[in-house]
Amino acid sequence: MNAVAGSAGDIFQKLRVLVVEDSGEMRRLVVALLQTMRIGCILEARDGKRGLEVFHTENPDIIITDGSMQPMDGYEMTRLIRQSGSGQGDIPILMISGHLNRNIVDHARDQGVTDYLAKPLSADVLYQAILRAVSNPLHIVETPSFRGPSPRRNLQVRHSDWPS
Amino acid sequence: MSSSHSSEEDEKPGHEIDVRFIRVPSIVERKLGPDHAGPMRLDPRILDHMQEAIRDLEGKYGESLIRQIDLLFRLVEEIEAGNVPARDRLYDIAHDMRGLAGTFGHPLIGRFANSLCTYIEGTVARDILDGTILRFHIEAMRDALANRDDNDAVALETLHALERLIKTTIRERRLAR
Repeated sequence: MNAVAGSAGDIFQKLRVLVVEDSGEMRRLVVALLQTMRIGCILEARDGKRGLEVFHTENPDIIITDGSMQPMDGYEMTRLIRQSGSGQGDIPILMISGHLNRNIVDHARDQGVTDYLAKPLSADVLYQAILRAVSNPLHIVETPSFRGPSPRRNLQVRHSDWPS
Repeated sequence: MSSSHSSEEDEKPGHEIDVRFIRVPSIVERKLGPDHAGPMRLDPRILDHMQEAIRDLEGKYGESLIRQIDLLFRLVEEIEAGNVPARDRLYDIAHDMRGLAGTFGHPLIGRFANSLCTYIEGTVARDILDGTILRFHIEAMRDALANRDDNDAVALETLHALERLIKTTIRERRLAR
């Protein structure tokens, strides 16, 4: 990682993170890791539809979502969040997925996913993704038909030991 | 959310596109103030605690894997009896294993689960009324779980053989349709 600018502990306690994941075991893992990081508020949802509801009522700072879910998947949820008015949807959305095919990663990017984390998930990949989400400004592109991080960027898949 | 909107119009003569570029300040800047802007350092103690949390969950996951593998065998029997929802249930379990087993120290089981998912994704329900390929995978998972500390060479050879078998099977069935 890069140079220090502040204590992660101070900011983590002020964070509201929404975890959207249909697998109970995966959700428990991600929540346990976030608790270990001392994230102040962890919200949970079992699918994209419920995740969207929690997003609108709870205003999380960061969303961590699975891709494939029923009845609404993480891609559709991300697209709808990016379309939210008055900048409410301008937040980091991290997708954790086992689908590493380039077409699927590009699809996630086009819906507005900020960071793409490969399954199996490792502690360092999640931790570094949260640090990036917290400390990097978001650069949003807005056109009449699109709002979100640039769909022209190369969304990398973050594996364990991926250079930061 | 309050966004600082610094917008620039992307203008081309005779080809104007209405585009705005917006810089949303980082979460740190918004919550702690602009003096805190900039990248943050990874704290190795937090990472250690996270890895410890994974190790704590590993034991429970190992127990859960034993139950899941037993369930997969039962689901194969149901699939062979023509129960289509059992195929979906089997896929869901394999999909979860694909995502989780590697995190909890069972990378080979994750890879067998990935191969199993690939097989199901590439076939239709009537193709797998014969559960032979499903059973090969589940038996390989059971062996990998039982012999976790052994040399991986045999398991990898099995995995590659299954991957080749699936490729051939899917191709043949697509041609037959």
